[in-house]
Amino acid sequence: MAATIPPFIQAVHDSTVGEFMRNSLWSMPVIEALHVLAIATVFGTVLIVDLRLLGWMGTRRAFTRTADELLRWTWIAFTIAAVTGVMMFTANTLSYYVNAMFRWKLVLMALAGLNMAVFHVRTLRSVASWDNLVPPPRAARLAGAVSLLVWLAVVALGRGIGFTKGYNFEIPDDTQIQMEFPQ
Amino acid sequence: MLVGFAKWLQATPLSIAVQSARWVVPAMQVIHLVALSIVFVSALMVILRALGRVRTDEPFAETWQLFSRFIRRGVVVLLLTGLVLVIAEPIREFTSTSFWTKMVLVVVALAATWAVGMRFREGGGDRSGAVFALLVWVAIIFFGRAIAYDEQVWGVLTLSAGH
Repeated sequence: MAATIPPFIQAVHDSTVGEFMRNSLWSMPVIEALHVLAIATVFGTVLIVDLRLLGWMGTRRAFTRTADELLRWTWIAFTIAAVTGVMMFTANTLSYYVNAMFRWKLVLMALAGLNMAVFHVRTLRSVASWDNLVPPPRAARLAGAVSLLVWLAVVALGRGIGFTKGYNFEIPDDTQIQMEFPQ
Repeated sequence: MLVGFAKWLQATPLSIAVQSARWVVPAMQVIHLVALSIVFVSALMVILRALGRVRTDEPFAETWQLFSRFIRRGVVVLLLTGLVLVIAEPIREFTSTSFWTKMVLVVVALAATWAVGMRFREGGGDRSGAVFALLVWVAIIFFGRAIAYDEQVWGVLTLSAGH
């Protein structure tokens, strides 16, 4: 069964950025390296905030102090990760679009956003009462644990895309494939 | 000689076992990426503290004590997972100019970061040393990703031609 390509996915593929990503010699290594650098910064800074929420690290400083100074860097890095991620997507839209790991990665990033939103709306409102409390209240610890696990999964799925991208197809029964590759 | 060693290593039962278990390389890469994030951001915290951009409410020595521990432990994880990746694909790594560049830069980054740690802890230390250490860590991440693109990145300087 051939997958139908949504017009949007085809349009992104045919875009100028897509052309550039496919045709330039340096675009992929440079953009991928920037993506890794951005992810490392996002994950690393989020990890410090999450460990503080769990009450496992940096508890001598107030939560808001740690979060405020780090999340600035997280958002800068996240913007770079998103832009470079979209650029990688344009290079080969269909193989990402049909890739299960890619889809799950997007779902989990949405979940990370939802977790953050709930934390902001509900738990952070009362931060004055637990800013220096060790361990922090249960809702704060839960937000930290969920964030930590979800971002770990995002990193793992992201790396997994590289190993599965382009393999999500079925081989017709009557196709003969030479499985011996030249050494 | 290196290529000969890589070919020998790739044919050893250990390497073949690692190659055959197809989850090993992706799993090691994920752990490598997580450890890399911890080491990079820990170094970033030390360097930004040295530059007076974060954690200015505590002395440099306290930031150093907290994060140098994560750098040390993270680097051990990076070396172990990196070793498994080299055993799995020795020819890919040993014939990559980016791989050898990265290995040299790892030594430079650790030396530069510890120089920042020692000097700033004693109240000395200059900002250019801290910026240099940060740039070397960034370069390590770049060359790590560039291993997969050695011929594009290095052109005639790639070691992978003919293998």
